[in-house]
Amino acid sequence: MNIRQSVGATRYLGERTPRKENARLLTGRGQFVDDVRVAGALHIAFARSQVARGRIVSIDTSAALDLPGVQAVYTQADFADVPVHFLNYFFTPILAPVTLLADGRVACVGEAVAMVIAESRAIAEDGAALVEIVIEEETPLVTLADAKRGPPVHPGFDDNIAAEMGDEDSILALKDMLKGAAHVVSQRIAHQRIAQSPMENRACLAIPDGAGEMTIHLGCQSPHLAARVLAMSLGMEPAQLRVIAKDVGGGFGLKNIPWREEIATVVAARKFGRPLKWIEDRFEALTASSHAREQDITLTAGFDAEGHLLGAYAEYDSNNGAWPMGEDANIAVHMFMWPAYKLKAYGFVTRGWYTNTMGLGGYRGPWAMESLIREVLLEKAAKQIGIDVIEIRRRNLVTAADQPFTSTLGITVDDITTDACLEKLVAHLDLPKFRKEQAEARKQGRYLGIGFAAYIEPTGSAGSMQPMTGETAQVRIEPTGKVVATLSTHSQGHGTATTMAQVIADRLGVKYEDVAIYEGDSALGAFSPGAGGSRQAVIAGGACWTAAENLADKVRTVAAHVSNASVEAVSIVDGMVHIDGAPEMSRSLREIAEIAYGEPHRLPPGMASGLESQFRYQPPPMTMTSAAHACVVEVNPDTGFVKILRWCSAEDCGTVINPGIVEGQIAGGLAQAIGQVLLEDMPYDAKGNPLAATFKDYLMPAISDVPDFEYLHANTPSQTTGGMRGVGEGGAIVGPPTLVNAIADALAPFGTLGETITLPLTPTRVLGVIEGRDLGGHGETAAAVVEEAPAPVAAAPVAAARIDGSYAMTMKTPMGDQAMTGHFRTDGSALSGELESPEGSQGFTGSVEGNRLKFDLKVEKPMKITLKYDLVVEGDSISGKVKMGMFGSSKISGTRV
Amino acid sequence: MKPAPFDYAKPATVAEACRILSEAGGGATMIAGGQTLMPLLNLRMSQPFILVDINGIAGLKGVSRGDGGTRVGPATRQSEALRDATLNRHLPAFVKALSHVGHYQTRNRGTIGGSVALGEPAAEMPATAVALGAMIEIASVRGTRTVAAKDFYLGPYMTVLEPDELVTGIVYPDWADGHVVLFREVAQRPGDFALTGLVGAAEVAGDRIARVGLAFFGMGPTPIRMVQAEALLTGAALSSLDVDAVAAAGVADCAPFDDHHASAEYRRLVGKRILAATLREAFNLKVAA
Repeated sequence: MNIRQSVGATRYLGERTPRKENARLLTGRGQFVDDVRVAGALHIAFARSQVARGRIVSIDTSAALDLPGVQAVYTQADFADVPVHFLNYFFTPILAPVTLLADGRVACVGEAVAMVIAESRAIAEDGAALVEIVIEEETPLVTLADAKRGPPVHPGFDDNIAAEMGDEDSILALKDMLKGAAHVVSQRIAHQRIAQSPMENRACLAIPDGAGEMTIHLGCQSPHLAARVLAMSLGMEPAQLRVIAKDVGGGFGLKNIPWREEIATVVAARKFGRPLKWIEDRFEALTASSHAREQDITLTAGFDAEGHLLGAYAEYDSNNGAWPMGEDANIAVHMFMWPAYKLKAYGFVTRGWYTNTMGLGGYRGPWAMESLIREVLLEKAAKQIGIDVIEIRRRNLVTAADQPFTSTLGITVDDITTDACLEKLVAHLDLPKFRKEQAEARKQGRYLGIGFAAYIEPTGSAGSMQPMTGETAQVRIEPTGKVVATLSTHSQGHGTATTMAQVIADRLGVKYEDVAIYEGDSALGAFSPGAGGSRQAVIAGGACWTAAENLADKVRTVAAHVSNASVEAVSIVDGMVHIDGAPEMSRSLREIAEIAYGEPHRLPPGMASGLESQFRYQPPPMTMTSAAHACVVEVNPDTGFVKILRWCSAEDCGTVINPGIVEGQIAGGLAQAIGQVLLEDMPYDAKGNPLAATFKDYLMPAISDVPDFEYLHANTPSQTTGGMRGVGEGGAIVGPPTLVNAIADALAPFGTLGETITLPLTPTRVLGVIEGRDLGGHGETAAAVVEEAPAPVAAAPVAAARIDGSYAMTMKTPMGDQAMTGHFRTDGSALSGELESPEGSQGFTGSVEGNRLKFDLKVEKPMKITLKYDLVVEGDSISGKVKMGMFGSSKISGTRV
Repeated sequence: MKPAPFDYAKPATVAEACRILSEAGGGATMIAGGQTLMPLLNLRMSQPFILVDINGIAGLKGVSRGDGGTRVGPATRQSEALRDATLNRHLPAFVKALSHVGHYQTRNRGTIGGSVALGEPAAEMPATAVALGAMIEIASVRGTRTVAAKDFYLGPYMTVLEPDELVTGIVYPDWADGHVVLFREVAQRPGDFALTGLVGAAEVAGDRIARVGLAFFGMGPTPIRMVQAEALLTGAALSSLDVDAVAAAGVADCAPFDDHHASAEYRRLVGKRILAATLREAFNLKVAA
């Protein structure tokens, strides 16, 4: 354990310190974007498409412009002169042709077509209702099945595959491998679409000041990241933009980066020259904010006779909608499915698909499907193999003795404690007693069930991909003796002002009440991506830790110097600086500060005046959190209703700064998990209309749906400074399988939940399992898609196509375009040649069929993969694809040189 | 979510309200508690020219006893009705159903008349009016009329009310002292509209059911009076009651539909079960072996 003894007697680490944020939030004095009032501000409302797919024939804004109080109406044509580079969270360009407002076509219901600027939101809405939009409707693609067979959502695209990774060959290899397995178990889960539903909807107030500068109050998860993304998107200097976000009511991933409406508000404010405010309403939030989940996965795993995992393979599809905040095949689902389990081989294909529905955004534990499908499959397998659900995990979990352990996809874990969390949970629960109760209850027609789930979660990532960086803490003791810290953390409910003040107070030896935290402003502190990826306690916590200790060292040095004592004899307790054995020489921190600021000649020679400390903490690339959960339910066999009776969490989030905040994070994630398993659903009809447009139809978990959770903190410090591990997303990841497994266990006398588990498990679906028949009602919303004739594949083979020669080619990759030169020589149906790139030249052989070239190249760096090229030569141009193992395909184009 | 522009009137009498409604020629909407109307206005699903606020009409509030019944003013707040001694004494089924309407906070604004007149088919109060045999008093510049609750509802949010008409009272007939309250609902969260639910009352004389009124909610386009089940129950001996047959008959009058919260088949199946369970519980009957 690398925690030094506290400097002072008062410990704040690990205490349920009252939150600094509570006073203003609980008395209605928080400052959210809509609370910011600016003189001269105008209000924005959007006229949105009520059609899921079609060509815009005309937009008539004249009636809206005639309405008194309407100041302007913009369409995309008005923004044509403003280039906007839409980026995803990782700063990679969005591939779909996304624009601020619909550009000639609409691709989903709710897409903004026109922006009305008026003196009030009400007038703006009146104006929006007067914008006449004529759209030539086309049949929309709504479901994943539609996407696979329908014409491309985005004209000019080859198909509806938004992103693709993995390799069919890897699945075939696993199928072969599992042929002799004692047990092969499959499970499919269709996860519904989720509306993110933060308490505060999206919001933006853009205030142009002077010469091209702007202050933007934004509902976001990091003002620094938002400012950086806005500057990159708009080609501005970061210093021209100041993003402020004092209080934000929930983010969950939706507010990671500014999206169409927020950027449009900024652009419009520059254009119009007055402050503009857009406050998303709940109807917009439910139907037109980026949605989440909507995934379909099938996992198959093979076991030996004793239940040891042999290998597994999965096929995964996700409905990315029309305008995802980053095309996403969700590789993380596969990366993080198995590092905690001793699986020997894994294969997968994973795809994201475009449809004519609202786009997909990140949502608390975006890869959570890995835990859901794995843990549900494991309990199903245990029942099939005839071993206990705990035992199957004991036989497969990575233990301390197994570590360091590297998963088949290359994730190395060296300090995970999933097995220990599970044992702590099992010891707490008295499972034999429950099984007895369960058997007794069944005799009386009551159906109790217990479900488990164990998982690991990557947290506190830094240094391996944009924008995940370290964090900076600037801590100073003011001349008054009070402590001020300027941080790049951000709280959308996380309570970072509380936890960071606890760390600083603890490490510096001052009172928690004497530490003030400044955050939430891109003009303060240094860059960090704020909330996202369960990172702030880990990284900002480490930064505060070291910055405060360094500052304490300076205080001790100063005190030792002015007291003629040794530094080792100085201690700081509750803001008082003491010298061992000389109580009469104790000084307040204020007295030391007054010397440091006002009488610098009394400082040690060469020491800078003041009491300031700045530290940027770069943690290990990834810090793993582990947990095991259990939940007990009772299912009513007459109504199919599920009642959660008990829920226990045994989590290892390392050093706990504040147990109340850790528990709040877990509980919040679990509430979302309960919503996802039992209640929440954003269905679309066949015309592409979202069907849950109010909270009457979109069922959020209420307090009556969420039990009191039991927390068994099973913490072991991590390898970071301070030893923290992230805990922000875990509940939403481990919660769903825990609850699904409990329901499956309760329903075991009636059979399994089926080959496909479709979420949410509504009373109708649960009762269907009990009754052993489909009770219907969950109609497939697949539109009547006209199967598109397959696009003609290249021209008919050209006899004696002229192929031989050299071509300058460009490969499109997520990291940008890569240039290379290809030299091709044909000899009948044989192909040979070399590919030249900045990394060097590599020879190959392959085949020719008409004008089509196929060849493979094996590369060692950055990892061992085989690149499969498939190119067509037409005249002097060459085009095609290269398949890069699990990293998907890239397009290639080029011309003869 | 801001309402489209509208005019506002707050008449002091029923006559004045009727005059405004008449002059508006169908363009008026009444507001009492606004718990349904305000969201509809904000979503612009309702865009009246004029909003007629009936909260200033003294005669539309409160509970009174008349010949053979209890009269509830339509602008009576749900929370006041819940606490009302007369209603608790004479109409326990009404109070039981009302306790499931919305939430504590919404009941402070929501009114009895608003719930009855809106005609949400999955709501408790329209079904209660139908089951208990309420009469609905209606006024307009053309005069007054009274419509039985069972004839009041035409479809989802559709009633016999003409655009110029105003509900001025709901009169619930008396049920004998000591009558049995029948109520059960299945809702995903407290305060949600029911996936299926039922409400009613029964008078028992000796071993026989002397009088019964029963209605389902969430089981069709309107509250559904269980005509066939009532016929089977009326006069039936408790000792030989075939509860399952009654339950089947109750559901036979329903026409539930699919939505993404529950299927029609679910509603039928569970509706039948809750009716059977409610009758067994109310009449202390054992499940047949």
